[in-house]
Amino acid sequence: MLNSERRPSMAERRPSFFSPGPDGSLQSTSLLVPHLAGIEDPLPETTPEQVDVVIAGTGLIESILSAALAWQGSTVLHIDSNNYYGDTWATMTIDQLKNWTTLVNDKSSETRFYKDAKLYVSGLVSQGKFKSKNFGIDLSPKILFAQSDLLSVLIKSRVHQYLEFQSLSNFHTFENDNFERLTNSKQEIFTNQTLPLMTKRNLMRFIKFVFEWEKNTEVWEPYADQPLASFLVDKFKLEKPQVFELIFSIGMCRNLNTRTPEGLARIRRFLTSFDVYGPFPVLYSKYGGPGELSQGFCRSAAVAGATYKLNHKLVSYDPNSQTAVFEDGSRVRVTEKIVASPTQHPPNSGNIPPQKYEVHRLTCVVEKDCLQWFSEGENAAMVVFPPDSLKTGNTETVQVAILGSGAEVCEPGTSIWYFSTTQEGPRGDLDLDAALEAMIASILRESSEIPDDDELVQINPDGVSLVNSVKLGKSFKELVSKEQINFIMKLYYTQYTSTPPFDVVTPNLFDLNKSDKYMPGASDNGILYTSLPSGEVSYDEAITAAKLLYEKIVGSDDDFFDLDFENDEPDSKNNNKTMGNYDESAIADDDDDDDDIRMMDAEPVEFAGEMEI
Amino acid sequence: MLQFKLVLLGDSSVGKSSIVHRFVKDSFDEYRESTIGAAFLSQTIKLSEQYDEQVLKFEIWDTAGQERYKSLAPMYYRNANAALVVYDVTEPGSLPKAKLWVDELKEKVSDDKLIICLVGNKLDLAAEKESSSLVDESEAREFAKDNNLLFHQVSAKTGENVIKVFEEIGEILYLQNKDKIQESKKPAGSNVSLQRPSTNDSQSCCV
Repeated sequence: MLNSERRPSMAERRPSFFSPGPDGSLQSTSLLVPHLAGIEDPLPETTPEQVDVVIAGTGLIESILSAALAWQGSTVLHIDSNNYYGDTWATMTIDQLKNWTTLVNDKSSETRFYKDAKLYVSGLVSQGKFKSKNFGIDLSPKILFAQSDLLSVLIKSRVHQYLEFQSLSNFHTFENDNFERLTNSKQEIFTNQTLPLMTKRNLMRFIKFVFEWEKNTEVWEPYADQPLASFLVDKFKLEKPQVFELIFSIGMCRNLNTRTPEGLARIRRFLTSFDVYGPFPVLYSKYGGPGELSQGFCRSAAVAGATYKLNHKLVSYDPNSQTAVFEDGSRVRVTEKIVASPTQHPPNSGNIPPQKYEVHRLTCVVEKDCLQWFSEGENAAMVVFPPDSLKTGNTETVQVAILGSGAEVCEPGTSIWYFSTTQEGPRGDLDLDAALEAMIASILRESSEIPDDDELVQINPDGVSLVNSVKLGKSFKELVSKEQINFIMKLYYTQYTSTPPFDVVTPNLFDLNKSDKYMPGASDNGILYTSLPSGEVSYDEAITAAKLLYEKIVGSDDDFFDLDFENDEPDSKNNNKTMGNYDESAIADDDDDDDDIRMMDAEPVEFAGEMEI
Repeated sequence: MLQFKLVLLGDSSVGKSSIVHRFVKDSFDEYRESTIGAAFLSQTIKLSEQYDEQVLKFEIWDTAGQERYKSLAPMYYRNANAALVVYDVTEPGSLPKAKLWVDELKEKVSDDKLIICLVGNKLDLAAEKESSSLVDESEAREFAKDNNLLFHQVSAKTGENVIKVFEEIGEILYLQNKDKIQESKKPAGSNVSLQRPSTNDSQSCCV
């Protein structure tokens, strides 16, 4: 329902978009073609003196918020103190990471959102063998589930047209010093020779249940406060390998304490995402992850009329005069709200929410393409080290996202390994190191040339040599390769966030800076702080947070991306004539060397928004 | 069909958007289809007989004002095939700025096949003004020549020369990519189109 405090939407403020109905009332809000203010209107001569909303920080949450507000009709001034887009979600070159590390380690900085950044860059970069700008490294790598609210918003807003997506179907679990590929489809469960019949039956029974788990309260409610593992063992008689696979590879949970309802929701997320676009559950964007998405949403906001200023720093906000002051001396009156990422806080701030949770990260660029870990035609894989699978006896999982050069984030012959864990304290880095060691051992084993030593080559009874057994790693586990892994870059850091591991942002985070709680003398009274990226591997938190902030500003989230671009052509006489005229197979790309098909503006759109399977 | 990304550059108020709008409006006939999209404008054109009547599509990216405070994202330049660098013929200060945009472009786009066209806009206003207050055409032409740029003077208002700019770029792009048309029956690429969910459920693990 519409909230009475809700600000009028863009459509209501611009009556020209409505055709009066027979009774004089305004009609049809669903077929509005939004006004492309940023393109169609002349630019104002100077910086606006007054805006509805100021947003500081171009991270993903702020960028989604900016686009949502701009399309809703609010005037937005969106700034960032950095000279790049993305803030804590940025995608960076190696040179940018060098600067970033220096800034993070600057002891004089008043508030710390990162700690212990240690960067190693190979001399091969300065010698020119590898070029810094050919790498796009994410500060907060994320994967996109095919069935998710962010994906729906990407389509609805058309921001997906700025991006290119690829599929990720390989999920490996590390067990017994070996990688097992995930059995993730019904077919695979049936055809998997190693699973006993009873196990198959139990697994199928569980999968059937989990799609509608919320309805079947009687089954799980007794376990509502119990770990998912006990529920799976008690109720579905599943055994450890399946339980671990479900909790850690499919559910991507961080530890064994994950409670039953959260765990079930996470398992369902994976399974419902499977086969939405094909036989894979997850997508990621080429050229970089959240940093790319942030740029896309910012551009979308700009098209809707938002003003952009990088290298622009907020120095104070006065809630009484509602005036924001910037480092260059300029100021702007804010009629509605000022929003800032904690990293963009003004000096002498007093209201930044506590960032209680730690995420330890290790990002490596290695001189190995790692193709053996990817599905054919793909350029990425996930590896999960469940609790107690590392020599450190880890209690939290270590998750690793691997991206290859086909994702256009690194040079051919290299790949990026993103390790992360929610293990706090010094143990976190030890776990990351142990996982790195296991990964190196495995890739060296799997990519080693078979030595010309007869006893190492296994021959099948039919005389075929088992070259593939090397790839499985087990047979030659003891084989110590003389080969080394070359690191092009290695970066450790600890990041802080207000979002608990695997949780989403809660509304009360945004209630902190209320007028009755102003800090005397603080420069940031009245500023609404956003949340920093959490340890969650998916994008799930981003839309939740952006929507909550939107509601705080607009009064309701009813018209959050309430857009309809179906009629992309307002005044054309042959509207929709272009739809469906193109033979997709005949589209050639520009100078590509891979076989990309660009997303086209004129492609049939009947599936838009229909994400049901 | 061949599809190309074309980006606009130049200072605010030189009329970048007007050029595109004029192009989209004027080239609207039965062979030429356009969409004013939320993401970018797309416009299909058909080349002359000399170029095999090839139909090609421009995906035109407007700066949406993000150039104003030097806040264009890397995404804007990525994989651009062509660029219009626009200045205002009645505003002598706008040519040096256009030159800076050319430098910026060359730094950001490493593709040496990138086609850059220097465009002087507002030709319709030039007639009313003293020639001393205008941008020196020969200077612009020379700069274009030295830097291997195409050069045109246009009027987005009257439409003069606007289509010519796009046609010339289209012709060069066609010649550059002619060979690829023969092999255009490519298998589906590794990119996933988000507007096309799979309708075939046979591989599904879902009940």
